[in-house]
Amino acid sequence: MTGAAGTVRRRTVWFWVFVGPFALGLALFTYVPLLWSLALSFFDARNTVTPTDFVGLDNYVHVLGDDAFTDSLWTFLVFTAFIVPATYVLSLALALMVNRVRWARAFFRSVFFLPVACSYVVAALIWKMSLFNGVRFGLANTVLGWFGADPVAWLSTTDPPWYWLVIVTLRLWLQAGFYMILFLAGLQRIDPVLYEAAAVDGARPGRQVLRHITLPQLRATSVAVVLLLVVNAFQAFDEFYNLLSDARGYPPYARPPLVYLYYTALGQGQNLGVGSAGAVVLALVVAVVTVGQARWFRLGAKEARA
Amino acid sequence: MTMKRRALLAAGAGAGLLTACGSDTGRGGGGGAGPALSHWYHQYGEAGAEQAVKRYAAAYREADVSVQWRPGNYDQQTAAALLTDAGPDVFEGGPTLDQIQGGQVVDLTGLLDGVKDDFDPAVLAPKTYDGRIWGVPQAVDTQLLYYRKSLLEDAGVQPPATLDELVDAARELTDGKVKGLFLGNDGGAGALGGTPLYAAGLELVTDGGEVGFDDPAAARTLGRLRRLYADGSLLLGAPTDWSDPSAFLQGLTAMQWSGLWALPRVQKELGDDFGVLPFPRDGASGRPAVPVGAYGAAVSARGAHKEAAKAYVKWLWVERTDYQQDFALSYGFHIPARRSLAEKADELRTGAAADAVRFTADHGHAQPLLWTPTVQTLYQDALSRIIKDGAHPERELRTVVRKVSSELDRAKRTS
Amino acid sequence: MRAGERATSADDTLVRAGRALRLVLLTALALLFLVPFYLLVRNGLASEQDITSPEWTFLPTEVRWSNVAELFRDGSVPFARSLLNSALIAVATTLGTVLLASLAGYGLARIPYRHADKVFHGVLGTLMVPAAVTFVPSFVLVSSLGWISTLRGLVVPTLFSAFACFVFRQYFLGFPRELEDAAAVDGLGYWRTYWLVVVPNARPVFAAVGAIVLIGAWNSFLWPLVIGQDRSAWTVQVALSSFTTSQVVRLHELFVAAAVSILPLLVLFLGFQRWIAAGVERSGID
Repeated sequence: MTGAAGTVRRRTVWFWVFVGPFALGLALFTYVPLLWSLALSFFDARNTVTPTDFVGLDNYVHVLGDDAFTDSLWTFLVFTAFIVPATYVLSLALALMVNRVRWARAFFRSVFFLPVACSYVVAALIWKMSLFNGVRFGLANTVLGWFGADPVAWLSTTDPPWYWLVIVTLRLWLQAGFYMILFLAGLQRIDPVLYEAAAVDGARPGRQVLRHITLPQLRATSVAVVLLLVVNAFQAFDEFYNLLSDARGYPPYARPPLVYLYYTALGQGQNLGVGSAGAVVLALVVAVVTVGQARWFRLGAKEARA
Repeated sequence: MTMKRRALLAAGAGAGLLTACGSDTGRGGGGGAGPALSHWYHQYGEAGAEQAVKRYAAAYREADVSVQWRPGNYDQQTAAALLTDAGPDVFEGGPTLDQIQGGQVVDLTGLLDGVKDDFDPAVLAPKTYDGRIWGVPQAVDTQLLYYRKSLLEDAGVQPPATLDELVDAARELTDGKVKGLFLGNDGGAGALGGTPLYAAGLELVTDGGEVGFDDPAAARTLGRLRRLYADGSLLLGAPTDWSDPSAFLQGLTAMQWSGLWALPRVQKELGDDFGVLPFPRDGASGRPAVPVGAYGAAVSARGAHKEAAKAYVKWLWVERTDYQQDFALSYGFHIPARRSLAEKADELRTGAAADAVRFTADHGHAQPLLWTPTVQTLYQDALSRIIKDGAHPERELRTVVRKVSSELDRAKRTS
Repeated sequence: MRAGERATSADDTLVRAGRALRLVLLTALALLFLVPFYLLVRNGLASEQDITSPEWTFLPTEVRWSNVAELFRDGSVPFARSLLNSALIAVATTLGTVLLASLAGYGLARIPYRHADKVFHGVLGTLMVPAAVTFVPSFVLVSSLGWISTLRGLVVPTLFSAFACFVFRQYFLGFPRELEDAAAVDGLGYWRTYWLVVVPNARPVFAAVGAIVLIGAWNSFLWPLVIGQDRSAWTVQVALSSFTTSQVVRLHELFVAAAVSILPLLVLFLGFQRWIAAGVERSGID
């Protein structure tokens, strides 16, 4: 008995030796500010982090009654609906092709992975100034000009909303390579025997194999990829801010929650109570989306097995 | 000598970031004895401005003033820093309503005793709250409509004196390669802000702290801005924004809304082939409108040496008129905040510069202190929807008036 | 090995056509992916006029390598210094993060403890918290520790990455137990097993996490901006931002600086890409 208890105690000590420093730092530098923000959301906290004016749920009532904020939540959902499937398909396609190409595989892998090293700020600079500037000498407009089309003010027109093309392509370029690598990892772990068996069963290479072997085998990777994509989409700030803001503000479209909160509560105007309340609402929305997608994937898995 | 020693130290330290962090605090030469003060400026784009403010600081004898030159989102940085003891003693900023109401800045009324009337009232007004002054205006920035004389002549267009004429002129001047007017890549909502309302004879906030544009004229005027956009007369998506005169200089547009700071560059590249105008009036009770603004030097309430900081601000921004003049006119182009200086300045007596000074004196309006970031976002959203989406101006404005009104009530209540 | 290899000869042409098509498609995509890099270099080596010139040219009218030299000579922006600072901060952050997160990840994956799951969920939950929201409290906290304008303040608060810990834990869960069992037989405790057996056999995951953390640290902007208050502590991202002011944008400097700023990472990645790729592939994220 004492031996077993001793083992348990020894393991507990070792657990904290390994995890302790990290957990301590996380508690101090993440949980303290986090709980602090949470507390602020119940106070009238303008330009102060030590407010005294408790207002209960007023800040939550305020943000939920603010059309611009609820619009920004929709923007986030629309953006997520665009970017998650787009990145998923592109990175999976890249992985499938790179995996099977016999020539210059390392080259292709590098080219698709390199944008990961770029920052959103630098990418936004290129996209805004050179690729998609609205006058006739932008690269995109130059190409349009070859076909006799009029230049498009990509980021400035709302009808049609071309700005989504700019925003989505930027993020695709920047992150597709990273997820491609994750998919490549998943692909290389698939047992070759499965493919051989499928061929014996007469499955045609291509779509049938993809549907019945490759995709089900990649399910675990897919869950991780989609989770990371959703979490990253809701953290979106940099490319939106750098593409669409000017010295005087930000247009009322393509404005995700963090950008809106930055302008009204967390930037120059420090209305920390309202800002924190907005962030809590946002975190809840993300939690719902994340749990929802996890459920959906699990249901899909059951059907596949049946 | 101190400069040299620091340079050596930095070189000697090599990769020693820690040492460097502590040592180079941007001190302009460390002339002063007395308490150490830190003075924050946002990063000005004009060459030489940084050296100038460091030179001023170094000349102060009563305190050891170090200058910090802050790139990036300056207002956000000061807002965060003012919550801590690591913030500035003196900083340029609004200061904002929240900073004043939150007791983060010190009352500077006494500093302007005897010279208050010399400051341009348009820029002093937003530094004043409850009859007290919370920031000393440094130099006046304004925005104007630049137009290319030759292009207007070729098209047989007169410089527009009313908003309708501006709409017509912009349409006339637009052809395949050149657009008529550039109000910013967002179509004007950001750069113009409340200016069109002033041009309609209205204002953002009345002296009594009420909404100043609850009037049918507001919707009419903003609707005309929609016309500009719908006509396709506006330049959109230029590589540089309205604050930079590049689009105008490259002939992408015949007219551009830009800052007074662009004037030297425009003059250099276009010579006499340009003119400036205020934003043209609109409607029967309209008047030309020129937005003005000025950073104010403010003193943080958390500073350890508030009296020393006040004395320094008084020295630099009240007493040393030579520095004030140098700051306003030698780096880019601003109008001194004090009328006696503006009148004396040779640079402001001729040509477009003289026009600009006259427009500013006659028609200048500053954004009111009560116009908080929340309210500004609300209004700008509506303006953008009116311009770009063709949203119904009256309906948009009705919502804005309602919300702004409740925000203003809150702001007044807090006091 | 591949399904296609067992196909009849009639399918052979199809397969070969498919292969050619794949190569063409890949090449086209690769070219598209390279366009932004090309634009960065083109603009970085052009004059201000060329960048905003009304006539599009694929190459600047005059290729100005001098832009690079001018960037480093510009007295108003300490660019060389900022590169050095960024390198220091990025390396310190990466080493620290990898050390802390890998230890924690191993502990969570391998050392039995009653509340390990709760601790893990506590770590995972913070992935959902946007840094923008906790920014002000974090800043006040660090300031109250007296860490403003210190290397500590720049690095320490960023060392605790839930993402890195998550990846390490998932990887170690799939780590072959036989190696550790053998170590146990040799009488090694957790500590020595970790350092002598686990770390040497898990280099790819260290490379992968290290790369991602390094990118993040190199590209971070707001934190170094507000914590490193002196010019001598500017990082490369802060220096980059200083080319854009409310009055003017110094375009060609901005582009050449942006190009130079990503160069170190690109070189590093090209050198280590095989290693990194292998690491992410085996990180067992699923």
